[in-house]
Amino acid sequence: MIIDKQINGSELTLSLTGRLDTTTAPELEAVIKENITGVTNLVMDFAGLEYLSSAGLRVILSAQKTMNKQGEMVIRNVNETINEVFEITGFIDILTIE
Amino acid sequence: MTKQALIKISHVCKAYPNVTPLKDVNTTIYKGDVISVIGPSGTGKSTLLRCINMMDPPTSGDIYINDEAITAPNCQLHLLRRKMGMVFQSFNLFNHKTVIENIMMAPMDLLGKSAQEAYDKGMELLRTVGLADKALNFPDELSGGQKQRVAIARTLAMEPEMILFDEPTSALDPTKVGEVLEVIRELAQKGMTMLIVTHEMNFAKDVSNRIFYMDQGEIYEDGTPEQIFEHPQRELTRHFIMRTKLMEEIITSKDFDFIAIRNNIDQFGKKYLLSPKSVHNMQVVFEELCVQTLLPYQGEAPNLQFRIEYSDKTNSIQIRIAYSGKAFELEEDMDMISYALLKNATTSIKTALTENGENEFILDIK
Repeated sequence: MIIDKQINGSELTLSLTGRLDTTTAPELEAVIKENITGVTNLVMDFAGLEYLSSAGLRVILSAQKTMNKQGEMVIRNVNETINEVFEITGFIDILTIE
Repeated sequence: MTKQALIKISHVCKAYPNVTPLKDVNTTIYKGDVISVIGPSGTGKSTLLRCINMMDPPTSGDIYINDEAITAPNCQLHLLRRKMGMVFQSFNLFNHKTVIENIMMAPMDLLGKSAQEAYDKGMELLRTVGLADKALNFPDELSGGQKQRVAIARTLAMEPEMILFDEPTSALDPTKVGEVLEVIRELAQKGMTMLIVTHEMNFAKDVSNRIFYMDQGEIYEDGTPEQIFEHPQRELTRHFIMRTKLMEEIITSKDFDFIAIRNNIDQFGKKYLLSPKSVHNMQVVFEELCVQTLLPYQGEAPNLQFRIEYSDKTNSIQIRIAYSGKAFELEEDMDMISYALLKNATTSIKTALTENGENEFILDIK
């Protein structure tokens, strides 16, 4: 998985390409942890995301919890496969998906 | 009515210097049995037939015909052999003799029949196999299907108690297979005891009362056509019948190569032209059940077997995951997110025990 990181003031945009799964979820977790301080807008761009497993979902959930305290989080460009994952796990009700 | 045992095979082994096609074959063939012998190439099907009539004597073990051991050193082999006719893949007719001469020869030489008797019987048999008008032709003037029907008539002329067929239609043009199978089918209806090595599965299903599935040097499964073709009990039978394509991974370390297995699943999908959705669902099962759930549950010395079975015949995918240790209760013990993903990727999830007694999940993939 490739994580492209862009910081614009207090907005952090993370664009993911590839698969967010058991092996790659820790990478995303580390990038978020390193960069989350002071962020009020977290944008995750999933245009290039092909696969999302429970390991990835747990990292997303953790990010959402953090952002609930310090601002907001938005997920963009969700394809059909990923959207189905959000639907069946109930994440669709927790996340803000644009 | 008790069944009359015609042939008993006891611990028959046939070993050649480099290969052992028969390791331990045991069975009883009853009068009137029509048994199709099926299985992958090289599993000793033809060898079994050749052992039964001692064309290729077993290395060890015994074969009894009507309670007489054909494998005994002092047996009257030629007399016992007469009880069994054999029909070969390659017909084995004498090309320099006419059809009727081919049929008359053995009854005159071995049964002491007169030429007239042998001729009358031969013509009767040729009528039975639909070839009376070819009596004076030479084998080379016949099609493959006709040659094989002559070979069957020749075998019947010796009035055998049973007939062994060694792939009787394998050398035939596909258009000629039906006429030979029809003759064999009629013999079955008349109650002839037969052992037929064949690759014609529909025929085997229709005509037989028993099927031997041969594999691993033995009669791996012996059952009715219904059992073998619809509900095979054992693993290798199932793979053969369902024309299963397999992918198997064994995980014995927590540091196993996750990416390699994930890629193997993708490659398996590409190779057999599975839909992207199915491949995705196989990945979900591998990751959510195997990696996220069972692997942590296995402790320091995991032992997981992950197997994908794709049936070409039914175009269905099944995943079997066998694991050591106690049975895992999915609904109670699995993480909710993983369980939701797993449910969505499958149409059914069953639990079972493997032949080795390990716990196993069997999942049908959407």
